[in-house]
Amino acid sequence: MSLLASHNPSAIPGARFMDPVVLARIGNLSLVSRAVVDGFINGLHKAPYFGASVDFAEHRGYVPGDDIRRVDWRLWARTDRYYVKEYEAESNMNFSVLMDVSKSMDYGSIGITKLDYARILTACLTNLAHHQRDRVGFVAFDQDVVEHVPPSAKHMETVLHVLDRLKPGRPGSLRGPLHKLAEHFGRRGVLVVISDFYEDPETVVDAVTPLRFRGNDIIVFHVLDPAELEFGFSNASAFEDLESGDQLPVVPEAMRKEYVSLVRAHVDALQQRFSEVRVDYTLLDTSKPLDHALFKYLSSREKKLRLR
Amino acid sequence: MSFLAPLFFAALAALSIPVLIHLIQREKKQVVRFPSLMFVQRVPYKSVRRRRIHNWLLLFVRLTALALIVLAFARPFLRRDDLNVAVGSGAREVVVLLDSSYSMGYGDRWERARAAAYDAIDGLGPDDRGSVVLFSSGAEIAMRSAAAGERQRLRAAIADARPTAGATRFAPALKVAGSIVAESTLPRRDVIIISDFQRGGWRGEEGARLPERTTLTPVAQTGDADLPNVSVTAVSLARSTFSGQERVAVTAVVNNRSTRSLTGGQLALEIGGRSIQTERLAVDANASTSVTFAPVTLAGSFMRGTVRAGTDALGTDNVFHFVVSPVQPLRVIVLDRGGTAGGALYLTRALSIGDAPRFETAVRQPDALSDEDLRRASVVVINDVAVPAALGRRLQRFVEAGGGLFVATGSRATWAQDVDLLPATLQAPVDRTRGDAARVGALEFGHPVFEPFRTPRSGDFAAARIYGYRTVTPAADVDVLARFDGGAPALVERRVGTGRVLLWASSLDLAWGDFPLKPVYLPFVHQAARYLAAYSEPAPWLTVGQVLDASVVAASQPPSSVVLTPSGRRVGLDEEGAEVFELTEQGFYELRSRTGDSVTAVVASNVDTAESDLTAMDPKEIVAAATGGPDGGRQAGGSGLPPTREAQERSQRLWWYLLCVGILLLGADTLISNRLSKA
Repeated sequence: MSLLASHNPSAIPGARFMDPVVLARIGNLSLVSRAVVDGFINGLHKAPYFGASVDFAEHRGYVPGDDIRRVDWRLWARTDRYYVKEYEAESNMNFSVLMDVSKSMDYGSIGITKLDYARILTACLTNLAHHQRDRVGFVAFDQDVVEHVPPSAKHMETVLHVLDRLKPGRPGSLRGPLHKLAEHFGRRGVLVVISDFYEDPETVVDAVTPLRFRGNDIIVFHVLDPAELEFGFSNASAFEDLESGDQLPVVPEAMRKEYVSLVRAHVDALQQRFSEVRVDYTLLDTSKPLDHALFKYLSSREKKLRLR
Repeated sequence: MSFLAPLFFAALAALSIPVLIHLIQREKKQVVRFPSLMFVQRVPYKSVRRRRIHNWLLLFVRLTALALIVLAFARPFLRRDDLNVAVGSGAREVVVLLDSSYSMGYGDRWERARAAAYDAIDGLGPDDRGSVVLFSSGAEIAMRSAAAGERQRLRAAIADARPTAGATRFAPALKVAGSIVAESTLPRRDVIIISDFQRGGWRGEEGARLPERTTLTPVAQTGDADLPNVSVTAVSLARSTFSGQERVAVTAVVNNRSTRSLTGGQLALEIGGRSIQTERLAVDANASTSVTFAPVTLAGSFMRGTVRAGTDALGTDNVFHFVVSPVQPLRVIVLDRGGTAGGALYLTRALSIGDAPRFETAVRQPDALSDEDLRRASVVVINDVAVPAALGRRLQRFVEAGGGLFVATGSRATWAQDVDLLPATLQAPVDRTRGDAARVGALEFGHPVFEPFRTPRSGDFAAARIYGYRTVTPAADVDVLARFDGGAPALVERRVGTGRVLLWASSLDLAWGDFPLKPVYLPFVHQAARYLAAYSEPAPWLTVGQVLDASVVAASQPPSSVVLTPSGRRVGLDEEGAEVFELTEQGFYELRSRTGDSVTAVVASNVDTAESDLTAMDPKEIVAAATGGPDGGRQAGGSGLPPTREAQERSQRLWWYLLCVGILLLGADTLISNRLSKA
């Protein structure tokens, strides 16, 4: 396995990240997510912490300053020593990834499709959230909900399994499934929406916004292939729409400039509209490592913890 | 223009490849699957069809380049003959070779051949010159290099020609034609050969090559080979003697070379011009049969016989002539001591047997030998007698005049010292009565005397026991034909003048051995006598094309000096300048004395029956051999010789230029397409 040093300026110093193309070849999402997240956490130099919870973790010796209420008196009665009970920390937060598995996601020009990239990203985020004791859930949708894993502290493996089985299917539509899900996510939490957003910015925002109404934090990852961003084709060819099957004769050299400007305008519009509704929007290039997305998520979560 | 490798034109199908690619590309574009055409659809549509005109230009260039390369691989070359025709036609030297062998008399071949010859003569231009050569086994120039204005003479030469009795031979005719055109100064030389092209007339190249720039045009007169054709190919003569008269039974071999079987034919035997016997003749197709006639009594010398097998499409070979004479006896004089046949009993008995030839033996005492005896005798046998010097000198003259002398040396034989005739000098006798008898060991089987005993089990000389022999010392220039087992010479030969002398070192009776009792004795004596007499059986017939050799002429008595041919022409042998005379006609040649009143010899002349086989060959074979090319010398500048490697290369160099132009066009294609793609 080759490890590539990150070339992203936003990378955390000391962290090592893997090329998405390399990750896509590994196949085992559990392994992939663990490798990515461990590397990422090492870079953060932050350890998981113990907190108040119902789940007993371990005893430790009393030191002055500890809350006397946490001394285990029964143990003192048996041993005549003071021990303090430690519990697993619990954040009470739901974490769900809403992933677009429409047919347009099944595109990749550099060895990894957008769907695979989203799959790895989801696995990593889920793993990360699981490390943070959050409850993890997962939803896959195209024009309807395809897979639904309710958030739970024990659903980490389920999510990875579902991710593994995912196949791109039908043409996609955001509004229908997302509106349906908005009613479902009643409890507050973090919702990550991953899609290529091939719809008008207005439609996209209209579809995503209802998820916020119940107080969820929404992070939107806009996944695009480099070919979609730069339109680096050279030969005049017939372009076929992956979802509709329509064909169009295209001379890429002649229309590259206009296409790139249209995409940029689309991204700008999305950025603008999402910021207006206080949704974190991040554009992801599948040729770039995953650190940016992870960092985005963590910073969002920290912000939420601070708000709490 | 011709092509060395026209099969490469199949590669022209490759021209369809650029067209197909063009069409396929237009029909089936490369399809790129793209997540969404949402933004692509918003870009104003631009047609790609505006580049079509440039593609057509490229297509044209590519097709032309491919076609030129294919053309180059087909190896085009310019035929020099085409160039010659283009350059212009000069005056021609035309030689018409007209086959006049007797097979041209088959059906209407001769008429057709003459018509073809007339056509060739009529085709002469005003500046051309024409020759007519008639050929069979030899070639005869009927008219040499006559101007076109003398066309009537050329036609007359053809009109006068008749099929001869000769067989077809192409090589002499081609050599004559070659000599005519070689002397010609005209720029173009044409040889037209009109024949039935029998296979038998060509035996390979035979050195018949026409000069350079000579074309050879064969005109075959064939296609009528299904007419009946019977030929009498040979006769055999079986001699017998009946009540003191010699008879001969004639057996004729008849060959049917056509594809039709002959039934109901007739085969007649004529003697002296009168029909003696007629037999029914039936021969299957491509088969032969033999017919034997009843024996005929030989009434006199030079009896002329003819076998006729009716008439058919080729009548010449239906007749077969032969001459048969009573066998002339070979006169042998035996010199014996006793006057009775006591000592020469076995010898005279052995010589009294035999028909071919018959021996007429006379026994004489040495002193009773007359000059008349010697004049009539062919062979003298000295059977163990003493020869005085006078007799020795007479015998020497006899031998020098061509006679044969056989000397058997018993105990009494002596020879005058001053007469140098014997091949060896006689020494003392050797007695082999004690111990093992001597045997005749080493024999010179290559010599005519021992040639009949050459094969195994054809005579064992070693069976004879020799109890005594004379030691002889061979002279310098003699041949020892046989030796005794001890190495001593047994039979020694010497040639004296035109005659021969054989010396047998032992006796020919029972005095010194049992040789006369052995089976080889009789054939040995006969063979020695024949050899000494230089006997050869006269040939009953000769074949047209052979010559009357000197022996036939010389053997006739009185000497011949005039030949009367079958057509009645008288030819003096002196006029011919030599003693050879070539037979050119079928029939009987009479040799007459100088005064012309007596027939001294008759020779039968028959046509060559190989000519009866009308199987035709491919004229191209002759053309190729005579001109060096299958197209009659038209290739390679019309010369009979194969072109040099440089000349071949020059005429085929066209492919190189075509290939260069093709490659240049491909380069231009690359440039054009690069320009187009940049634009």
